[in-house]
Amino acid sequence: MSSYIFQRLLLLIPTFIGVTLIGFLVMRLAPGDPAELRAAGGLRGAGEGALSRGKVSAVDEALMQWRAQYGLDRPLHVQYGIWLKNLFTLNFGESFKDNQPVWNKIIERVPVTTKLNIFSILLVYVVAIPLGIYSATHANSLGDRVTTLAAFILFAVPLIWAATMAIVFICGGDFLYLFPPAGLESLDYSRQWSFWQKFKDQTWHLFLPVVLLSYDGFAGLSRYMRSSMLEVLRQDYVQVARAKGLNEGIVIFKHVLRNSLIPQVTLLASLLPALLGGSVIIETIFSIPGLGQLGYESVLARDYPTVMALFSVSAILTLVGILISDLLLAVVDPRIAFGRRQQ
Amino acid sequence: MSSQQIQTGTVKPVSPLPPSPSLGGVASLPVAAVVVEGLWSSVWKQFKRNPIALAGLYVVCFLICTALLADFLANDKPYYMHYRGKTYFPIFRSYVIGTGLTQWPAELLNVNFKKLQGSEAIFPPVPYRPTNIDLLAPYETPSPKHWFGTDRLGRDIMAGMIHGSRISLSIGFVAVGIAVIIGVVLGALAGYFGSWVDLLISRLFEVMISIPTFFLLITVAALLPPSIFLTMAIIGATGWVGIARFTRNEFLKIRSLDYVTAAIALGVSNRKVMFQHILPNALAPVIVSVVLGIAGAILVESSLSFLGIGVPAELVTWGSILHEASSATFAWWLAVFPGAAIFITVLAYYLVGEGLREVLDPRLRGLR
Amino acid sequence: MSWRIWRFLLVALLLLPGCESGKQAETAEPTTPKTPAQADSNTPVTGDWLIIHSSADPEQLNPVTSNDATAAEILNYIFETLLTRDPKTLELKPYLAEERPALSPDKLAYTFKIRRDVHFQDERPLTGEDILFSMKVIKCPLVNAPFLRVYYDSVVDAQLVDRYTVRFITKEPYFLNESQLGGIPILPRHYYDPEDLLKNVTIRDLLKDPAKLSEGVKRFADNFNRNYNRNPVGSGPYKFAEWKTGRIVELERDPKYWGVGKAGIDPGFLDRLRYRIVTNPDAALVTLKSGGLDMMDLTPIQHTRGTSSERFKREFQKLEYFAPSYSYIGWNNESLIFRDKRVRQAMTYFMDRKQIAKTILFGLGEVVDGPIYFFRPEYDKTLHNYPYNPQKALELLKAAGWADTDGDGILDKVIDGKKVPFRFEFKVPSASTTGKSIILVLQEELKRYGIAASVRELDWTIFLDDVKNHKFDAVIMAWAMPASEPDEYQVWHSSQAANKGSNHISYKNPRVDKILEEYRREFDPKKRIELYREFQHILNDEQPYTFLFVRKTVTAVQRRFRGIEVYPAGLRPLEWWVPLSAQRYKNLAP
Repeated sequence: MSSYIFQRLLLLIPTFIGVTLIGFLVMRLAPGDPAELRAAGGLRGAGEGALSRGKVSAVDEALMQWRAQYGLDRPLHVQYGIWLKNLFTLNFGESFKDNQPVWNKIIERVPVTTKLNIFSILLVYVVAIPLGIYSATHANSLGDRVTTLAAFILFAVPLIWAATMAIVFICGGDFLYLFPPAGLESLDYSRQWSFWQKFKDQTWHLFLPVVLLSYDGFAGLSRYMRSSMLEVLRQDYVQVARAKGLNEGIVIFKHVLRNSLIPQVTLLASLLPALLGGSVIIETIFSIPGLGQLGYESVLARDYPTVMALFSVSAILTLVGILISDLLLAVVDPRIAFGRRQQ
Repeated sequence: MSSQQIQTGTVKPVSPLPPSPSLGGVASLPVAAVVVEGLWSSVWKQFKRNPIALAGLYVVCFLICTALLADFLANDKPYYMHYRGKTYFPIFRSYVIGTGLTQWPAELLNVNFKKLQGSEAIFPPVPYRPTNIDLLAPYETPSPKHWFGTDRLGRDIMAGMIHGSRISLSIGFVAVGIAVIIGVVLGALAGYFGSWVDLLISRLFEVMISIPTFFLLITVAALLPPSIFLTMAIIGATGWVGIARFTRNEFLKIRSLDYVTAAIALGVSNRKVMFQHILPNALAPVIVSVVLGIAGAILVESSLSFLGIGVPAELVTWGSILHEASSATFAWWLAVFPGAAIFITVLAYYLVGEGLREVLDPRLRGLR
Repeated sequence: MSWRIWRFLLVALLLLPGCESGKQAETAEPTTPKTPAQADSNTPVTGDWLIIHSSADPEQLNPVTSNDATAAEILNYIFETLLTRDPKTLELKPYLAEERPALSPDKLAYTFKIRRDVHFQDERPLTGEDILFSMKVIKCPLVNAPFLRVYYDSVVDAQLVDRYTVRFITKEPYFLNESQLGGIPILPRHYYDPEDLLKNVTIRDLLKDPAKLSEGVKRFADNFNRNYNRNPVGSGPYKFAEWKTGRIVELERDPKYWGVGKAGIDPGFLDRLRYRIVTNPDAALVTLKSGGLDMMDLTPIQHTRGTSSERFKREFQKLEYFAPSYSYIGWNNESLIFRDKRVRQAMTYFMDRKQIAKTILFGLGEVVDGPIYFFRPEYDKTLHNYPYNPQKALELLKAAGWADTDGDGILDKVIDGKKVPFRFEFKVPSASTTGKSIILVLQEELKRYGIAASVRELDWTIFLDDVKNHKFDAVIMAWAMPASEPDEYQVWHSSQAANKGSNHISYKNPRVDKILEEYRREFDPKKRIELYREFQHILNDEQPYTFLFVRKTVTAVQRRFRGIEVYPAGLRPLEWWVPLSAQRYKNLAP
């Protein structure tokens, strides 16, 4: 077992290098020069399509100086090597935009994104599991078909549409004002407030983003739950239990449910990276300062260090998540032998 | 592709395992080509019994027809015109001109067909092209003149939706096509040869899974010049892993069957074995992925257009109309119609895909 | 206050009907009951906050290394400059200096005498040493400000004459030197260089090879680049209070500001200026309407459609003004097709600029025909305005030799022995929706007349690269400029066409060159105006650009604010105040 773990950990390294190398190459080989962008005054200037005459559009020398400062004038493989080396000391470099250490910028936004994601995951589980159970136990009934259809419909609603409609119709403006349209806290938010006040305020602000993030998960997870339960229900030992005269409720909850939750363990693999994945669309529409917004802005601003950092964080978490999930599955389900390569 | 993750546009990786437990199951498939044909026709029979999935299929067919006939449904040229004593068929002619075989006659060069005086003409039901700009009619509400209203530049939205279906569907097909080619080939190689080939390719799978897909998409789409082809290519290039995995698993299972070992022993070349003997039987899960993948690709494209990247300005797509809607929220028709179109299309594909899966899964697992 | 005020206004197009200059009853409930006399008093009182909308975080708050617009606006309240511009007349006025600088006879040396009563926000006095220090920081090659430094290339030396007098030496006579020198943000030496590492370094030292600079300078530059991005300290009326990334940037009024009670200096009345960051403009409008914002720039759509309800008009007033910038289509004057001025003139006649301003800009723009800021005295109002006239355009093209000789629907002409079809490509920056719309309109129009234009969108930096290397047929862009005296040398002089200079279109006209050179050396404003009149007429005839629009900005402000004036030189929240009965926010403890 431990040799298996060790092997997998070792294999993590080339995979990680592969991912970050791809990210590095994509960013670098794409045309566009961060030095020019800095000279033009950042993304605001680009949006206007305007050049400022007051500040002379920088001379080549100024641009060269700027590039030299960030080591952008060295050959590509050297740059990647240096970046990799710095990684060992957890030094992600400094952002091009404001010279802040990238690590700080990321850490600053982690709590926001994590909070959003935790609530979203909880909501999905709370809604989808019971839905899946209901669907499985009443398989092919009208209720099952209706819930399935409803879940699908939700799944198919494009997020961009739902979010924009929400902003327009229920977030104030000309129609209803049920939820705030932006930010995480009210204007007069004060640390002096009682816990309950703070909780209410934050919930009010987070409600819409969390629901929007979660609604498509209802379909996937409930279907997964349903099919894994169905598979278990088909098993012989369930018939046996019923034949033995056990109460149906106990059959479901003691035997079936436990066993059908086992495959859910595999989803844990996606939990880890899910905690830190920021949704670009939601964060942009609701002005939430999370990791998704950071990623998107950094790409547009060609802030290489930040982009690389986000890439690697995401990659590591996914890989670790996969490893944990595989291990858990092997522990929990003895049918699956580790060392899958032996067929 | 996990449409879930793509739907929310998260900067996080795909769930490594698809939400379908059917792959862990043991399978023994029908073994020869003759039986394969029987398989598909019985698949169709079973599929037909599911009314919802069938409805989805009808919608998909309707969309495909709309896309193919777009030029005839929405065009600023008439089908038939009688002008100055001569008869013309401008729409058909423009097709022929497109192939370079002929040219417009001098009197029809660069004219505005609607303004030709003294002509008798039959126009298509929507007499606009999506690119016809009319600065005097911006943001018109839906009316008999413009059934779905107009956008900021006075372009007819219904025309935009009809021609946009072409773009959405072609993005879906091409992107998934690319994903299928890459995925099936790699999966087949991995499943068939095993050992170090499998090891290497599985590592590649892991790498692709660990890349935050939407993030990568944004990076490529935002930094390179906007182009439909590029968008299709990168959606395809980042979405092949699921298909590859399925294919690999199927190949692994089938390869150990007797008829395959027999074929190999008889000296049939590897390529033949893989593509003639194994592949047809391994395609079932791939088909489902393809259908779901098309829906996913359409969602991705609309998300990218919504953010304003990936699609050039001259092109009107469903996503680009939504992009305009986000800054002109009073123009509800800009949001409702393309949003509904995306929704209906995606829903239709999902229903078909799920219908197929329901039919195919038991077949895979039922023969125990 | 710094003359680099960000918004520029036109008095005539002020306030919309239905809005008087402010004696209305308030809609917000009073926070403290006051006697009616006090509530209606017209003397400014301190108190209340102004919540300003910002669509993005500033990148950082170091006035020397920062290069973005949001930061500049915020830093204007914290830092001050030697000279400023009168908001109404746009003339240079002394601010931290006692009077405008004395100019030496050879027009190279500027001597500034500094006020003796200025102190920084930590109460330490501001002296000539700080002025000199600020210049050293800008000139230091290791400080991360290559773009600002280039701007001050003309400064070759600076000396401290005595505790309150500084002299700057420039390379050559140029009338805008005074304005540039007057615009340096003054940094407190004791805060930004606590170890006084730059003490013995002179400006001349800094001009030498960066590799030879001392360790002390390197340490200073490192420290300065890294550690001063989120904690600015200056001498201005507002202190930096806090910055929560992605949420707010807050400034607090300094009651101990040196300028309180001094003639001609605005100490500010509002207790706090809070920049609230809302990236999505729709969400921002909703936040404005629900009271979460007090001041916001409206997008053209929001102005025409989202803000006309009675309820909105009761709560907010809309102020309109023109920003000093103009958009244009630049034709590559060296390309085969566009080197003929008749073709360029024809292109301008093909554009219905008035209708485009009405539709695409929603009426928030005026057509311009020259490169000078609309409201400066130098702008010549007698220029020909090229009304929309496609017939005239076709005539010009015909006269220039263009005709459809091969029946393919596209004009062509024999140039240099080869038959050239009238096909070309517009390059557009992908982030500019307005630019794209304008070009699409032009493309459709040209198609009707046998001209095949294609459109290519490019990401901003790639676009800029192509522009600078002259790899284009036509581009759509804009120039933004300060409201100060214009200097068109950079854009129109033939020498600027090489080396990636700003003369992207390769415009070369010897007479224009001479005018531009003379202008720079001319210190008499009247003579300058005459020179530029001739210059504008030449450009008007030659149409090297098709000049497009000057854009109007519309800002919505909550009605409780008084003292609002719309200046040619900008909106100045520094002058605004709220009567006690209408104040909404007290200074709550954070």
